[in-house]
Amino acid sequence: MVIPRTKRRPAKLDGTGSFTGATVRLGSLFRHPATPFLLPAVVYLFALTIYPFLYSVVAGFLNFSLTNPRPPTFAGLANYRSLFSDDLFLAAMLNTGLITVASVVIEFVIGFSMAHLFIAISDLRGSQLLRTIYILPMMVTPVVVGLLWSYILDPLFGIMNYLLGLVGVAPQPWFSDANTALWSVVFVNVWQWSPFLMLICTAALVSIPRDLYEAARIDGARWFQTVIRIELPLIRNTVLIGIIFRVIDNFRMFDIIFATTRGGPGRATEVVSLYAYRQIFQYFNAGYGAATAVVVFLIAMIIGTIAAKLLQREVYHA
Amino acid sequence: MKVSSISPGGISLVKHLFWMLFAAITVSASGQSIDWKTELKKADGKTLRIIMIQDPWVKAFDTIDQDFQKLTGASVVVDSYSYDDLHEKEVLMGNSKSDSYDIIVLDSPWVGEFQQGGYVENLKPYLEKDSKILQWDDFVATFRQVADWKGSIVGIPFGAYFVLFNYRTDLFKEAGLNPPKTIDDLKNAAKTFTKNSKFPGVFGIGMNNQRGSAVGQAYFEYIFNFGGKPFASMYPGSSDPYADMTPELTSPESIAVVQFFKDLIQYEPPGALNMAWDQRANAFATGPLSMACLWSVREPILSDPTRSKVDGKFGTSVFPSNNGKSVPPLGGWVMGINNVSKQKDLAWDYIKWFTSQETHKKFVLLGGPPSRISTMQDPDVLKKSPWIQTVYESQSQTFADCRPRIPESFQIIDKVGLHVSEALQGQVSIQDAMKQANDEIGALLKKAGYKVSDTP
Repeated sequence: MVIPRTKRRPAKLDGTGSFTGATVRLGSLFRHPATPFLLPAVVYLFALTIYPFLYSVVAGFLNFSLTNPRPPTFAGLANYRSLFSDDLFLAAMLNTGLITVASVVIEFVIGFSMAHLFIAISDLRGSQLLRTIYILPMMVTPVVVGLLWSYILDPLFGIMNYLLGLVGVAPQPWFSDANTALWSVVFVNVWQWSPFLMLICTAALVSIPRDLYEAARIDGARWFQTVIRIELPLIRNTVLIGIIFRVIDNFRMFDIIFATTRGGPGRATEVVSLYAYRQIFQYFNAGYGAATAVVVFLIAMIIGTIAAKLLQREVYHA
Repeated sequence: MKVSSISPGGISLVKHLFWMLFAAITVSASGQSIDWKTELKKADGKTLRIIMIQDPWVKAFDTIDQDFQKLTGASVVVDSYSYDDLHEKEVLMGNSKSDSYDIIVLDSPWVGEFQQGGYVENLKPYLEKDSKILQWDDFVATFRQVADWKGSIVGIPFGAYFVLFNYRTDLFKEAGLNPPKTIDDLKNAAKTFTKNSKFPGVFGIGMNNQRGSAVGQAYFEYIFNFGGKPFASMYPGSSDPYADMTPELTSPESIAVVQFFKDLIQYEPPGALNMAWDQRANAFATGPLSMACLWSVREPILSDPTRSKVDGKFGTSVFPSNNGKSVPPLGGWVMGINNVSKQKDLAWDYIKWFTSQETHKKFVLLGGPPSRISTMQDPDVLKKSPWIQTVYESQSQTFADCRPRIPESFQIIDKVGLHVSEALQGQVSIQDAMKQANDEIGALLKKAGYKVSDTP
C-alpha cells in the first residue's frame, strides 16, 4: 500500500484562539490565551536545549580555556582545523564507528534469535521468568556494567580466565591488550543491549499473521526462506526504530569504556564521547571541546536524518 | 613490617633518642601550649564546608572535627569525591565563582592552575600572622615549596604523599636478596621472582601501565631517577623549573625510562598493561607481587590484616634510582581557602587548628598522611606506623616540581600517558612515541605562552 503524500500548510495561531492559516503578529502572539500555557515549555526548550547548543556553536570558534582568567578570544576555524588534524580524534571516530557497527549487527542477530527462542518456549512454565532474567542487564547502569565486567575479565583475579583455565584455555588479556580491548568492549555492550533488540523483535514477530507462515509451509519454504522472505521484510520497520536508538546510543558510548579501559591501551578504545569529555572536563579546553561536541552533534544529526528518511520511505511503501 | 633504615646501617640508637627528645620538646613547647579556646573565634551555628579527595583517611575528619565543633560551635561538613571528579568540580566552582565550599583541598599539580585562575586566597598574610602557631618550618621543605606559587601560599600542607618502594620481606629473605637500591637491582629482583618454581604464583613487580594519568605519572616518577629531566629547566636544584619549558622527552634518559617500563612487562602479572593505582596496590596486598612502588597513602591498608595478606611480611625503602641520587616522587594535598568564601576567617581558624602540630599528630594516628617533620619523628606515630621512618628518609630527597604544577599539567601528563601506553603496546616504537609526545607537548606549551625552543 502506498500512502499518498499531500502538501499541508502548517497551522498558525490567530487572535481568536483557533488554528487558521492567518498571519500572526508578535504582539497578538503574546496576547493569545494559549501563550501562558506554552511559555513554560518554550522557556524550558530554550534554556536547556537551544541556548546551550548555540553557546557551544559560538564557543567552538573561540580560544576558551576555563582555567585561564583571560577572556576568550576569537579563533575562527582553528579549533576545527586542529580537530580534524588530530590523529586521536580520527582514531576515536574510527573506533566509534567500529563499535557501533559490530555491536548493532551482533545485538540484532542475538536479539532476533532470542526472540524466536522465547516465542517458541512461551507456552512452557517459567518462560516469562527466563525472559525477565534475560532483560535484567538492560536495567543496570552502564558504569556498573563496566565495573562488573572489569572484575569478571580481570586477567589476574577475574573469574572468566579461571573458568577458561578449567577447560584448558590460556588466560586472555581482555581489556589490557590493544588487539582484544575493543572486542571486549563490544562483548560487554552486546551483553547489556541485545535484550533490547530481543524485545523489539519479539513485539514485531508476534504481530506477523500466522497464515503467512502456514502458506510458506504449504509452499515448502525452508526456515531460512521464511526468515528472509517473510519475517525480515515484515519486522523491518519496527526493528529499524530500535536500531536507530542503538546507533545513537553507541555513538555517545562513554560509561562502559570509562569504567574499563579509559580509551586505552594506547588509543585502542578511544571513542568520540570520551575524547570530548577529556577536552572539556579534564583539560578544560572549552572552545576545543565545544567544537568536538558540535562535530559529534552534526554526525549524529546526519545519521538520524538518513535513518528517519529511510524509515519514512519504508512507511510510505509498506 | 620491616623498614630498611632500622636494619643495621640505619640510624643509630643515639640519633633515634635525640629525635624522640626533640619531638617531645617541640610538642610541649608549641603544640600543647596553644590555648585554642582563646585562639579560635566562636562561630556558633555556622557551618564550614570542605571539598576533599575521597582517600582512605577522610574518615579521620569525622572524629577530629568534633573537637573543632566543641571549640568554636561551628559544624564542619566534608564532601569527598574521586580524583577526576574533584578536579572537575573545583575548577568549575572556581570558574563560576561559587562559594558553596569554604575550604578547597588541592593536589600539588593543581597549585599553579588554582592560583593563576584566582580561585584561592593567598594565605601568606594569614601565615605571617599565625606563624608561631603553624610552625611553618616544621612542614616538609619541598611540600612548603609545593604550596607556594609565585610568592603566593595557595594552601597549607596537611597530606604529603611519597612513593615508597615496597617489597616482600619473606620472599626477599628466601631468595637471599636485599631491597633494591638501583634500577638494575630492581630489574634483577623482578626477574628472580617471576616464573620461578621456588616462588609459585609470584610475579616480580606491578607497575602503573594503564593509558592516561596512570602511566603518565609513572613516567614523571622515574625520569628524575634515571638522571633525566622532562623539560629543559625542570630538575632537582633548578632555580626556576619553569624558565625553559622545552620538552626533553626524546633524550636518552627519557627513552631509557620507557624501555625500562617495557622490559618489566615480562615480570608483571597478566593484564599488566591495564594496571593502575588500585590494581597495583590490590595485587601487592593479596600476595602475587614481590615488589611494588606505592604512594604512602596505601601503607595503612597493607598493614591492616583485615584488608591485606601481607601484613607483617612487607618492608619499605626509599625509591630506587639509576644514579645513586634517589628523587622519591612527592605529591599530596594542601588546604586552600575559596577566594569568594564568605567565611574566610572561620576557614582559616579551621586550617590553622587542623594543620597545627597537635591536631596533625591526632590526624596521623587516625591514618592520615604525615606532613610535618616532628610528626614523622614522633615515637607514638612511629610505633603505630613504622613505614613513616621511610617517609622521613624520603622527604629530604624529594623535588617539589617532580610533576609540573602549571595549569597544563593534567594535559601534559595525559599526553605522555597516551604515547607511552602506545609504545608499551608495541603499536609504535619508543622513539616515535616519545617524539610525538615531545612535539605535541611542545606545541601545547608554546601556545600557552611558555618559553619553548624549537627542537632540531
